[in-house]
Amino acid sequence: MRATLERASPARIARRPTRPQLIKGGVTAVLLLFAFFALPELLSLYYVDTMTQVAVYSIVTLALGLLVGRVGLYSLGQAAVLAIGAWAAARLLFATTQPYPLVLLEAGLITMLAGLLIGLPALRLRGLYLALITLMLAGSITVVLATVNFPNGGHGFLGYNGGLLHIPPIRRPSIAASDPAYFRYSMVVAVLMFALVLAHIKTRPGRAWAAIRQSEPAALAAGINIWFYKLWAFALASFITGVAGGVLAGAIHYLYSINFPTQDSITLLAVTLMGGVFSLWGAVVAALLYQFLPALLNNWGVSADWLIILFGVGVLQVLTTAPAGLADQVPRDLARLGRFLGRRLRRRPGGDAE
Amino acid sequence: MRRNNAARRTILLAAALALAAAGCSSSSSSSSSGATGSTPAAGSSSSAGAATVDTSSCGSKPGVKATGTPIPLGAIATNQPGTSFTDIPNMAKAYFDCVNANGGVNGHPIKLYIATEQTNPAQIAADAKQLVQTDKVVGIVGNTSIIECSINSSYWQKLGFYVIDSGIAPECYSTPNSAAVNMGPRYSSDGAVQYALAQHVSKVVFDQANVPGTGYIAAGPNALAKAANVPIVDLTENVPITDANSVAIKEVNDAGPNGAVILNFTPPQALVILQAAQKLGLEDRVKLWGCSTPCNTDFLAQSLGPKWNGKLFVNAELAPPDDTNTTSMNLYKAILKQYGSSVQGGIGSFSQMGFTEAEIAVHALQSITGPYTVQSVNAAFKAVKDFDTGQLCQLWTYGDYPLHIPNNSDWTVTPKDGKMTTAQGCTLISKVDPQIAQYRNAAGTAANAPTGS
Amino acid sequence: MPPWVDFEPFIVSGLALGGVYALSGVGLVVLYRATGVLYLAFGAVGALGALIAWSLITRAGAPGWAGWLACVAVAGAVTLAYGLLFGPALARRDPLIKAVATIGLTLILYGVMDLLWTTSGGQARSLTLPTDNGGFTVAQIQVTWTQVIALAAGVVLTVGTGAFLRLTKLGTAMRAMANDRDITATLGVPVRKVEAAAWLGCGILGGIAGLLLADLVALDATTLTFLVISSLAAVLIARLRSITVTFVAAIVIGLLHDLLTPIASLTSYRDMTPFVIAAIGLLVLSRHQVMTQSREEA
Repeated sequence: MRATLERASPARIARRPTRPQLIKGGVTAVLLLFAFFALPELLSLYYVDTMTQVAVYSIVTLALGLLVGRVGLYSLGQAAVLAIGAWAAARLLFATTQPYPLVLLEAGLITMLAGLLIGLPALRLRGLYLALITLMLAGSITVVLATVNFPNGGHGFLGYNGGLLHIPPIRRPSIAASDPAYFRYSMVVAVLMFALVLAHIKTRPGRAWAAIRQSEPAALAAGINIWFYKLWAFALASFITGVAGGVLAGAIHYLYSINFPTQDSITLLAVTLMGGVFSLWGAVVAALLYQFLPALLNNWGVSADWLIILFGVGVLQVLTTAPAGLADQVPRDLARLGRFLGRRLRRRPGGDAE
Repeated sequence: MRRNNAARRTILLAAALALAAAGCSSSSSSSSSGATGSTPAAGSSSSAGAATVDTSSCGSKPGVKATGTPIPLGAIATNQPGTSFTDIPNMAKAYFDCVNANGGVNGHPIKLYIATEQTNPAQIAADAKQLVQTDKVVGIVGNTSIIECSINSSYWQKLGFYVIDSGIAPECYSTPNSAAVNMGPRYSSDGAVQYALAQHVSKVVFDQANVPGTGYIAAGPNALAKAANVPIVDLTENVPITDANSVAIKEVNDAGPNGAVILNFTPPQALVILQAAQKLGLEDRVKLWGCSTPCNTDFLAQSLGPKWNGKLFVNAELAPPDDTNTTSMNLYKAILKQYGSSVQGGIGSFSQMGFTEAEIAVHALQSITGPYTVQSVNAAFKAVKDFDTGQLCQLWTYGDYPLHIPNNSDWTVTPKDGKMTTAQGCTLISKVDPQIAQYRNAAGTAANAPTGS
Repeated sequence: MPPWVDFEPFIVSGLALGGVYALSGVGLVVLYRATGVLYLAFGAVGALGALIAWSLITRAGAPGWAGWLACVAVAGAVTLAYGLLFGPALARRDPLIKAVATIGLTLILYGVMDLLWTTSGGQARSLTLPTDNGGFTVAQIQVTWTQVIALAAGVVLTVGTGAFLRLTKLGTAMRAMANDRDITATLGVPVRKVEAAAWLGCGILGGIAGLLLADLVALDATTLTFLVISSLAAVLIARLRSITVTFVAAIVIGLLHDLLTPIASLTSYRDMTPFVIAAIGLLVLSRHQVMTQSREEA
């Protein structure tokens, strides 16, 4: 009986990849390889630095997309979680000489612990309450950071020396000291985080999350431990955001509390919704919106305010018409455009209409 | 359904664009009218004088347009909601435009690339690389940013750029590759505290915005107060301030009736605190109020009103425009009027800084005989010595020193019926501040005696 | 620990701050009860109105009352437009989605405000109301009539709208619509008109609050737009239901925030007060049950 059930279980059935999936996987691999090898050579240092930020924030939007799209938990505090990760990484990098990957792992684990501490009591709340309490917690962390500041090479637990005349930069890994090399490094870390999330989605946690998103009572009836899986989602999201914080610390060398205002959490949610919370590519699109577009506009001398307006319009659009965001909408629109053009071209050689 | 939503979206976007288009024209016209309207008395006398000043004296060949290969220079300025320093490089550009219309630098026009940033370290580092690698600038003139000096100082050092800037972060004043025309928050706060101490206050409360560098900034006033045996209380406030009442009450309580409250905030935040103090009826409960240079604008004097006449003493890093009738000041006002349409704050310390930095740069560039390369231009910048900018207390020197604080003497101004007027002439910042002492040792104090009045 | 006499002026200023939070907080809860939407753009819409009033008064030389009227009118118009355009489309969605949609509006307004009223170095805007010039002295500090008005407005809102929503026909219709739009429509209530009235009322409230807050806090787009985050604390403690609890919670939060000021070890953390109180309050309130914002609550 059990063996029959296992043989018929969805996990077994879904394991053979289909043709569209293979094509999609292939395209993804090609794009990743292109980005890894060719981008740093083709772009100026200004845009290489920007793409490093895109890599970092794609992890953050991935975490937020996971919470919002897979589990239905709207978090308005993601920038604060990123700040915790960056703080932990900076403290470790200044205080110890540990290798970079170890520091990233530790930063991720520390942030995961913080995420669990917050998630445990907060999970008794649902929907709007949960979203608002994450906003409250983010506000608290912002105020604490403003007083405690980020480590800058000082001593003591906080590692902050306010009177420094020369602030030392946060170190980078020795194999990735230059900007192009650090871009590649951050890409590798991002790909690893995406792989981690993908592994979760394809296995039992992913199925549990899908069930919870569909209907909590039904999931409960099916025997899924809702608390456990929601907590797992919180932990995973916090872990990868913490790792992203570590990569951010090395990327920008200097951390300031004014760079993590509460408003950023709101903007992050906006771009994540616009990018699309149901697909992993949505996270990349969201990061491009959040970091690449501002850099582009800054270069062209266009005010960043237009982007804020665009994000606002985008949120309204996503919520009213395109819940799956750009990552879903653009390919479909392009496909529709392609079919439309195809029909037009087929009519023309005939001369008269059909 | 989809068509309705598309229509909805279009309406929204169109409305936003229409608002923006209407507002752009109205705000630019209103800000320019505000610029002349904000200094009515001064405006009528000195702008009348400015109208007759020929701006062509900025260049070497009046009326001759420069047509040679351009000399590319770069500037990075903060521009985000609540803080905008773009007036400074914009005024430098206005000066360069004047020079370009009047002979250029030995026939070469100057092209200023301005990069803006939103206090994002990644962006600031990227801006520097953009200027150097893509725009191929040969010099940096006009940087004004909350943290740029910290982020980029090692980059400029590595490439051999000697930056002329308006500093804020510690590295603008503590590294060999940056020399500022202003005094920055620490030395300007020193000046304000010094003035208070000279009025024999019994206690000092130093309150500043909680932005990067508060410890570095507070070290100066603390050294001064300690040397004068006056107790000092250091406070910081998170900005933007949402509860100015508690801030004002706390400051006044801590200072006491014979104490001084010295503020180090941007103008909008300082205004909010001072207005709260006035509404609460606290402005007379301390001996005096002081403020570092950002408060030195006529906008603030007007908004505060007559209750603050002679009660608020603001440190002025640059010559008071309304009280100075020199050639340089009149040229500044004339260039601002003719070429400075993108300078939104009008007459004030921001545009004065831009003017001064551009002045120094052009003076240095004119001394170059060969090609304009990174080496030749930055060597010329570094070689600037005892230059009379007409806007500062002292002659300005770059020099080959491990740190640069070339502007270390200041005026003190006080609001009087909507304008800032001089309360005290040029006074050297005390060398009790260890950084000042270190600079004067390196540069030799003889060069720093104030020449202004 | 400082002596008691040091705390006295902070009690007065704390009540004033509480009045500020109460104005936004009560406004938010009233709107939620009337429309079913947590209108996070409340602050932004008020800021927009206040900036327009400032432009009219200081740049165009219009008389004070004209500027204030414009402020209230603009706030009302923008909110009405949003409600009519997006209200029906989102009516059946979760309150969370409706609140996130107002974030979209907030971002749009914020971007527009920063474009049109740039903060260039040296420019400091302020809006003063004639009631600033009078007042009385309590505990050695002056209290302006504006602060009294803000507090009184909070009380009037609390008492008045509570009664309006419960006792009048229009109020009951609004509550029904906020609960379930479709069923209300089948009952013969003119939903479009009621909806329009609710949103217009919201906007006017936002405009009045914007004027008062621009005077009491600062005339700054960033400050006023995101002040709503601190006001959410009181709203959360009241679980978006009771207007009276919101008002009381806001006063307590304001008092606590200012009373922490003279305590040296805590003063730099006092801006955390609303957030910490909200978090603790919510966790305490939810310790026995799962708190969910279902559509049945109104």
